[in-house]
Amino acid sequence: MHITLVKKILKDGSACKKCADVLNRLNKNDQMKFIDETLTADERDLNSPGMLLAKELGIEQAPFFVVTTNGTQKVYTVYFQFVKEVLQQKTDAKEDAQDILDQNSDLDFL
Amino acid sequence: MPEHHAKPNENTISQWRQDLADASPQTIVAFALEKFKHITISFSGAEDVALVQMAAKIKPNVSVFSLDTGRLHPETYQFIETIRNTYPIDLKISFPDPAAVSELTQQKGLFSFYQDGHKECCAIRKVAPLRIMLKHYNAWMTGQRQDQSPDTRQNVEVVQLDKAFSSPQKPLIKFNPLARWSSQQVWDYIRAEDIPYNPLHQQGFTSIGCAPCTKPVLPNQHEREGRWWWEEATQKECGLHVRTE
Repeated sequence: MHITLVKKILKDGSACKKCADVLNRLNKNDQMKFIDETLTADERDLNSPGMLLAKELGIEQAPFFVVTTNGTQKVYTVYFQFVKEVLQQKTDAKEDAQDILDQNSDLDFL
Repeated sequence: MPEHHAKPNENTISQWRQDLADASPQTIVAFALEKFKHITISFSGAEDVALVQMAAKIKPNVSVFSLDTGRLHPETYQFIETIRNTYPIDLKISFPDPAAVSELTQQKGLFSFYQDGHKECCAIRKVAPLRIMLKHYNAWMTGQRQDQSPDTRQNVEVVQLDKAFSSPQKPLIKFNPLARWSSQQVWDYIRAEDIPYNPLHQQGFTSIGCAPCTKPVLPNQHEREGRWWWEEATQKECGLHVRTE
């Protein structure tokens, strides 16, 4: 299994907030050790490795994870789903709730 | 009629959808209450009061719940009490986990959503308590309508398997009896039935949520523009503009 994380750099050179949040969680939960490769999608450079990979895979948001197993690629755009399905780690109630919200945009009626 | 005992699957739900293809909201509410004994209604303190009226007429002591996030407008709290005192319903109020709220506010303060987006706070104050509440039921009803948001509601069905809160062991059915009604139809019903409504509506609030995250909208503004209005830019921030043109 090979795991690639793509994070984004904004046009002004700063890190995107969501990417920073996910990176913080990965570090805090000691999960960076599972990431084999980190690519940067730099909005200032359309040919940056992360931008090229996003274009190739048709991904329109960052951060995202690309998990390659036996030549098959699966993309995860939701951190908690990645943690549960790929790392097979448990998440707490707060993380589960956020995962539900991330995956169900119609819950904005609440 | 006894509760629907077999676990509803997509085929059952598809059949129900056909059965309810031309049904009025009142008929859908009656159908849901007939099919499920353990069913509850989500009441946000807004115009979904129409659902409470429909259900209470059919089934006195029907289960209704509201999520008290701790950040609602005073008018909404008063309105929830008005509804409790007006209808013969079993109204439950759910609260967020104090430890989770405390951790969030200790770390990020009381208004972190303006910087970090609303989802972290909503997850703690709304989704987690909702998840706990719904564990007690086999079905629920919401006031979701297709016209509420062009982005997220267009595909709202009158009945659906709730993929957010179902588990393989326990499917949860979600009824959206107002799905096909417009805002105008809901308000025509509220006026025709002389149903109490949240006074915030008279102040220009069309969508009512937590006080810091809801504001009145101007005429011809879409109702969702009154929610999390500061986030449009940050949401776009997550997009990757990979096209080269």
